[in-house]
Amino acid sequence: MVTRSVYVVLFVALCLSFAGLPVQEAEGQSSGQQVGEAPEYDESVLLSRVRQLTLEGNRAGEGYFSPDGTQMVFQSEREAGNPFFQIYVMDMLTGETRRISPGQGKTTCAFFHPVTGDIEFASTHHDPLSLEMQREELEFRASGQEHRNAWDYDPEMEIYVADADTGELTRLTNVRGYDAEGSYSPDGEWIVFASTRDAYGRELTPEEQQAMETDASYFSEIYTMRADGSEQTRLTHVPGYDGGPFFSPDGKKIVWRRFQENGMLADVWTMDLDGSNQRQITDFGAMSWAPYTHPSGEYIFFSSNKYGFANFEVFIVDFDGKKEPVRVTTTDGFDGLPVPTPDGKQLVWTSTRYGATARQTGQLFIGNWNHEKALELLEQAPPRKSSSDSR
Amino acid sequence: MKMSSARYLAASERSAFLPGQSSAIRFFFAAVLTLAVAFSTGAMPAFGQAAASDVRRHVETLASDEFEGRLTGSEGAALAADYIIGQLRSMGAVPLPGQASFRLPFEIISGVNDTGSSLTLRGEASDQDFDVQGADQVQGLTFSDNGEVSGAVVFAGYGITVPESQGYPYDSYANLDVEDKVVLVLRYSPEEVERETQAILSGYSNLRYKAMRARELGAKALLVVTGPRSLNAGKIVPMRFDSAAAGSGIVAASISGEVAAKIFEAVPNGSLEQIQEELDAGNRDATGFSIPGLELTLSVEVERESATGYNVVGHLPASNETTAIPPIKPYVILGAHYDHLGRGGFGNSLARGDEIGEIHHGADDNASGVAAVLNAGAALAGMKRDRAVVLAFWSGEEMGVLGSSAFVEDPPVPMDEVIGYINFDMVGRVVDNKLTVQAVGSSAVWPRLMEQSNVPVGFDLQIQEDPYLPTDSSSFNNSGVPNLSMFTGTHADYHRPADSPERINYEGLEAVARFGALIGYHLANLGEAPAFVQVERSPGQQAGERDAARAWTGTIPDFGGEVEGLRLGGVMEGGPAEEAGLQKGDVIVEFAGQQVTNIYDYTYALETVKVDEPIKVVYLRDGERHETVLTPRARQ
Repeated sequence: MVTRSVYVVLFVALCLSFAGLPVQEAEGQSSGQQVGEAPEYDESVLLSRVRQLTLEGNRAGEGYFSPDGTQMVFQSEREAGNPFFQIYVMDMLTGETRRISPGQGKTTCAFFHPVTGDIEFASTHHDPLSLEMQREELEFRASGQEHRNAWDYDPEMEIYVADADTGELTRLTNVRGYDAEGSYSPDGEWIVFASTRDAYGRELTPEEQQAMETDASYFSEIYTMRADGSEQTRLTHVPGYDGGPFFSPDGKKIVWRRFQENGMLADVWTMDLDGSNQRQITDFGAMSWAPYTHPSGEYIFFSSNKYGFANFEVFIVDFDGKKEPVRVTTTDGFDGLPVPTPDGKQLVWTSTRYGATARQTGQLFIGNWNHEKALELLEQAPPRKSSSDSR
Repeated sequence: MKMSSARYLAASERSAFLPGQSSAIRFFFAAVLTLAVAFSTGAMPAFGQAAASDVRRHVETLASDEFEGRLTGSEGAALAADYIIGQLRSMGAVPLPGQASFRLPFEIISGVNDTGSSLTLRGEASDQDFDVQGADQVQGLTFSDNGEVSGAVVFAGYGITVPESQGYPYDSYANLDVEDKVVLVLRYSPEEVERETQAILSGYSNLRYKAMRARELGAKALLVVTGPRSLNAGKIVPMRFDSAAAGSGIVAASISGEVAAKIFEAVPNGSLEQIQEELDAGNRDATGFSIPGLELTLSVEVERESATGYNVVGHLPASNETTAIPPIKPYVILGAHYDHLGRGGFGNSLARGDEIGEIHHGADDNASGVAAVLNAGAALAGMKRDRAVVLAFWSGEEMGVLGSSAFVEDPPVPMDEVIGYINFDMVGRVVDNKLTVQAVGSSAVWPRLMEQSNVPVGFDLQIQEDPYLPTDSSSFNNSGVPNLSMFTGTHADYHRPADSPERINYEGLEAVARFGALIGYHLANLGEAPAFVQVERSPGQQAGERDAARAWTGTIPDFGGEVEGLRLGGVMEGGPAEEAGLQKGDVIVEFAGQQVTNIYDYTYALETVKVDEPIKVVYLRDGERHETVLTPRARQ
């Protein structure tokens, strides 16, 4: 049974999006792990000294670095009383971790301002119902049930920025609808983000109304705004979930993932800052998402379930998408949300390789990244095939 | 109960980030940063080099021939203690409060001998009279009481009673009256029953258990014979060193097949072999019987040698003089056992062939752990700490965690003043950057402390929740103290003379010490004391003592990593596993018809296998399922 509802569980969210997945993962492991051709190499070709970076709490993900690489901001569920993600900063030298989000409600998708060190993230803590939702979620868990959809594109989600020195929060978005998945441009002047605001404050067609009820992410589109929240501008206009946008290292392009209208298949896309020149970079005919560009600008990391519905692996693809992507990870379990360190020499990603339970849904892993080998493998990769060729 | 402890913890986690803590943390990281940078870049500053060469010096000294394998109570162990005390002094450690010395003595049984047991038969007919002595005919069991008893003889099959709770009714004593009688039983358990049945029965075939059962039923003495159909047929039970050798409250001895045959002459219909055959078939109605017309007198003289073992324990007093309020639970303990097997004469050596009787150097087991604690202690000595750090070096571990048990039973510092215990046992064989951390389930505080401590160190941590471990941390777990144990995995040199210093990964060992020091540091400065979590024992662990598995497979389980199945850390050279084509890294998922999901399943499955009887083994290699046939051999 492959139904839409199953897929909803899969793309529950986020800048890159990850939650609720491993329940499906566990089911998937018994079946289709060996689907597709295995790579001729092991992941140790590209990754070495792989280890688990976060250990505390039920789950952690979405690690992004300060420009000097000494700090990592990430989201984690690790405090009693709140079953939702909060935002933490880890000192990469001492291991010390502190929470920078308010602790209440849901948060997601943090990113360092490249100049000031301020941190933007999305949060619902202002919602008077947020504590109620925490209680409900905890009671739901205590009842022993499993979630079908852990991420609900809460229209109360708004983008905030936390001051690097004082921790004081400033709200940047103020429109009904899910505003999240934000990240800064390399000069710190701009934020690119995703929003479902288009679905609110207007009458929906019957089809749209049904989409709203099954999966609100259908309405998500890519927007930009200035770092102070002004000049909010819509860039995409295609039905289906557009999300997880980041600037390229040279600040000239936006890289994001676009789901097809059916919500099942996704690919990595790039476009100019005004939304023009939209270009499809991957074409696996699978769910290819969570793109992030290597600091060299040469290639884009992403994850895809090309080798099995629940077997997400990390891939790289040349920035222009002219060649076939190269597989990176070869370990069982979920491997996704890849983000390199600013020096390009390490990779942090989310994985269930050391096991996942209903609650333990992935932690951050880190490994040394072989950039030279990556370039070599990309160079050797054949020209990109179209998914329609093989179908 | 759980709820309240969760709240308690939440409070403690928050308080760790209170401003009061931050200065100490900052101070500390000034020191750690140099190390962290050194480790990741390879450009070692002077301090880092000194630390790495220190662990090497500790291991090479303790594992040298001069220390003769550091058997508890031996001269070699005394030399090791001297060395450790010297190191403690040089880092500024002092004896525990109220103790004059670093040495804390405890009594052990160091050996056991039969000094002249004998047996006399008097029958109705004079040709039944029989007198015998000599260790090849009658020899006390190690745990026997001394004394002379007489009585009629009752044969009670295998002498096994399975508790009702096991759901398999089996009682060798059904319908037997053994009060004031001498009970004769077969060694081991029925040989030809189905594997599952055998697994149950073998769980109650331990000789101590058999003796206890006979005593409960009022028997005067227990005699054990190795049945003619069993392995070691007719042989006397060797006087294995048994560290817990206190008397069992009954006179108990092993007799030869010859003596048993003499007794069975009084049985009108059938030899012992025929009777055993019936029992081996699992016939539960084939119980025992009185042997008519015989009066048996058994005299057992067993001499136990006692000796004194010494734990070596020092402490580094709290160094934060400015702390206004004394911390809750003011002690952190780091520990490692320093004893090993001497020349391996006491039963737990795995030496083979030419190696037998050689010095068992114990470089990994556990000079490595001692080196880690000494290095961690030296680092912690220079750090600001709200709590005292106790550095404990246990003896008697190889005999059954005797030193640490003695420590927690009569604790020089109250156990409820100990915030946590960190154990290091076999930490010198880091491979592929992996470090296994065990007993993580004993407190919810560990994941956070490990996460924080591992960022600058960078191990590929293998986390295991289970605190029921065959090492000293279990003593603290039994005392309700949050505990952790560091382990880098077992290997083919385990408990053999070949466990020598040149096979140690010193860079890895130094990193283990650093990781342990960081956890100790964070623990020493926690604002609150984390709650202890009582982890439930899995059913396989509750079965109790079992007679040592007699069939040898030559597999070396990898205790690291919680894979589904049993991952092999290696196979013994020339052993049945190697002959079956198994190799390091294979994950056994089915063994002798039983599903294997963890090491307890495997242990359970092992007990059902028989010598020279091929079994099917299903294993995963590189994710693919394979099958092979393994033929266990008799343990040498």
